[in-house]
Amino acid sequence: MGKITLYGVDASPPVRACKLTLAALGLPYDFVVVNLMEREHLSEAYLKKNPQHTVPMLEDDGACIWDSHAIICYLVSKYAKDDSLYPKDLLKRAVVDQRLYFESGVVFTNALRSITAPIFMHGIKVVPKERIQAITEVYDFLETFLKDNDYIAGDHLTIADFSVVSTVTSLPVFLEIDAAKYVKLTAWIKRLEKLPYYSENSVGVQQFFGLIKNLGITVEA
Amino acid sequence: MGKLVLYGVEASPPVRACKLTLDALGLQYEYKLVNLLAGEQMNKEYLLKNPQHTVPMLEDDGKCIWDSHAIMAYLVRKYGKNDELYPKDYHKRAMVDQRLHFESGVLFQGCVRNIAFPLFKHNQTEVPRTKIDAIYEAYDFLESFLGLKQTYLCGNNLTIADYSMVSSVSSLLGLAPIEQQRYPKLSAWLDRMEKLPDYQSNNGNGAQMLIDMLSAKITKIV
Repeated sequence: MGKITLYGVDASPPVRACKLTLAALGLPYDFVVVNLMEREHLSEAYLKKNPQHTVPMLEDDGACIWDSHAIICYLVSKYAKDDSLYPKDLLKRAVVDQRLYFESGVVFTNALRSITAPIFMHGIKVVPKERIQAITEVYDFLETFLKDNDYIAGDHLTIADFSVVSTVTSLPVFLEIDAAKYVKLTAWIKRLEKLPYYSENSVGVQQFFGLIKNLGITVEA
Repeated sequence: MGKLVLYGVEASPPVRACKLTLDALGLQYEYKLVNLLAGEQMNKEYLLKNPQHTVPMLEDDGKCIWDSHAIMAYLVRKYGKNDELYPKDYHKRAMVDQRLHFESGVLFQGCVRNIAFPLFKHNQTEVPRTKIDAIYEAYDFLESFLGLKQTYLCGNNLTIADYSMVSSVSSLLGLAPIEQQRYPKLSAWLDRMEKLPDYQSNNGNGAQMLIDMLSAKITKIV
């Protein structure tokens, strides 16, 4: 097995989804910090590997892969001892896939990045009301998905849990998760917090919260 | 083989991505219209099958799957004679997956839905220029994804990434036309996609419907 290198920053939710997956698979890797504030992701060298200039990016076996969802599917397919994290059964896989696309679309792009991009790129200090509504929408859907399941895609842990939890635990800095209203969602997060490698997510969550708080971001009343 | 049913509306890009895939796989299916503007996706029956109440939704022998990307991957895995449309090779598949998530996030949520949802749901008929800029940013990325000598998004073979991407891109042309000089590779790729057999019935007509719906309702770019 060649060397695996993960490029990213701990504050980034999709980077944390990859770290959770790598830890679950027990895979050693080098972590290379890409300082986004210093625009390191826009360097010529980085752009050659990843023209979308995002983190995370994975280097393995001479190839560069990006987008966290593509990375975690790749890792499980290539290295996992069994298929429990990404079931091969077509219908079960379709559920995991749907949750992954829900994450990249509804959760990451519509709920999180729609808030953080204006903050980090344009110095916006106030989060508009409709962006908070987008977060409520996420919590509502996840509560529904967890109605009859202990995990986000069914009765056992999959990469969909890693992908969704990384972003969902980052959103409360803008809108807290009401534990009385979101009983299943709260229980699911607590369940994942018990994973022995959960610090791969929790450390970065604190860093992300710190970033937002230091910028003095408020929410439109 | 059990019965395949696709639920959707013509104007919806992800529905059209599924139609392109079903057609490419030579699959027969029943098409059931879900009138979104009339709120049919919120019917109790539909919600039981798809609690995210979106289109497209696929029913295969009674089992329900939703999200266009998940549907397309499922269809190729289950019914494809080979894996060309969605390669099993891990590196090749990772590239298709990245393009699919790009479509899901950057293009569909970030560009299409970000304009269409406030417009149709909340009557926000004035569209901020930043939302049009976002479309061109997506085009810039797509231009960079298309290598100099490659025919399609992931190389020289068509994949479900092409079907997914063209369904959204074709729907945005009214708001953000693709100039050949500015986007030579993207423009050539779009021409190539438009020449696919049955492109008009599977995607072209529906894309024009969405373009027309957007242009009829948007009053101003501000």
